[in-house]
Amino acid sequence: MRTLLKILQRYSNFLVFLALEVAAFMLITRNNAYPRSSILSTANSVVAWQHEQVSAISDYFHLHEENEELIKENIDLRNQLSALEATLTGDSIRYMDAKVVQMTTNRLHNYLTINRGRKDGIVRGQGVRNADGAVGIIRTVGRNYSIVIPLIHTQTNLSCRIAKNGYISTLQWDGKDCHYAQLADVASHVEVNSGDTIITSGLGTVFPEGIPVGIVESCSIKEGDSYYTIRVRLEVDYKRIRFVEVVQNGHQQEREELEDGLD
Amino acid sequence: MDWTNWLKQFGRYVVVMLLQVFLFDQLQFFGVCHPYVYVLCLLMLPITMRPSTDMLIGAGVGLMMDIFCNSLGIHMASCVLIMYIRRYLLGLLVNDRDRLNEQISLHAIGFIAMLQYVVILVFIHHLTVFALAAWSWRHFGFVLLETFVSSTLTVLVILGYNALRNK
Repeated sequence: MRTLLKILQRYSNFLVFLALEVAAFMLITRNNAYPRSSILSTANSVVAWQHEQVSAISDYFHLHEENEELIKENIDLRNQLSALEATLTGDSIRYMDAKVVQMTTNRLHNYLTINRGRKDGIVRGQGVRNADGAVGIIRTVGRNYSIVIPLIHTQTNLSCRIAKNGYISTLQWDGKDCHYAQLADVASHVEVNSGDTIITSGLGTVFPEGIPVGIVESCSIKEGDSYYTIRVRLEVDYKRIRFVEVVQNGHQQEREELEDGLD
Repeated sequence: MDWTNWLKQFGRYVVVMLLQVFLFDQLQFFGVCHPYVYVLCLLMLPITMRPSTDMLIGAGVGLMMDIFCNSLGIHMASCVLIMYIRRYLLGLLVNDRDRLNEQISLHAIGFIAMLQYVVILVFIHHLTVFALAAWSWRHFGFVLLETFVSSTLTVLVILGYNALRNK
């Protein structure tokens, strides 16, 4: 007995070492199969909090790449969607992503510059939209860049529809507030209320039908007047615009040639 | 060890652990650089305690790290191992026994002994962690590479810490 105790004492360090290692290996083998304890893993709320902080920080650094990827994915999805629509309607529309390089909002003749040009297949007259809605129309095309006339330009005349009844009218801009435009040519017999959605008409080749343009903010009619005065809150916030998509209608040329031939 | 020293050791542990989880765990150098700098606290622990206390502290520190890495047991096993080995190693490296009753520092044991002490223990610790995590011989080449790269960085950090502390 005594010798046993002596041996134990003599090797006590080694025994503690052995016991701890055995415990560790039991943890390893059990935990590798399937984690059991939520306290002893990253499910623990303190540890989870730490991981969240780290990922919040690293997310910030990856924001740019993430953004690019999302834009690409968005364009892909939109192209797939329009390919599907094409099989139904016969239109062929493709989208091209672009970044807004420069933009003005406080003039009468505003414009924005995008980083796509002739080499990307951009042609004068193509529509430009973003995720919110219609942005404008391509005016000048350079090799690498293009200039877009936005809806907030005093010469804008965009053909629109009131979504609920399909009535066609024209969107114009009075040069005052870059968040609001006016809807012209809505006769007094048409039923229109504030809150109605305005979409692109699909007439012409600039935009396909149904892209959001704005929401009726207020509508009034003056005594003895036969047309409404309609104020539209634009869907697109030009002050914050960064990425856009150019609408490329495969049949644009054909349609324009046909329509020109009528004159 | 008196209570102010305990408090100092614990304070250093907290700071090093924060650096570990927020900085060193985030390094991504082709997936081979995972320095476990937290072993600094274990290596710099005075050697005046009983060996079993030493190993229990190692187990606790390792387990804490395991919780952050979701690798229950792996760091614990490695830390207990180096805590067991280290007093024999120090006995071999340092001839003057009285020196060991002070803190483990460049001043106390000299640069050569410190270098050997840190390199050997860090290498053993990292090798054990990576080998246990890989859990097969198939990735042994990669485990060695990982160990080499990671322990180099850990050793540099620990030696740098000691150099600064000596001033």
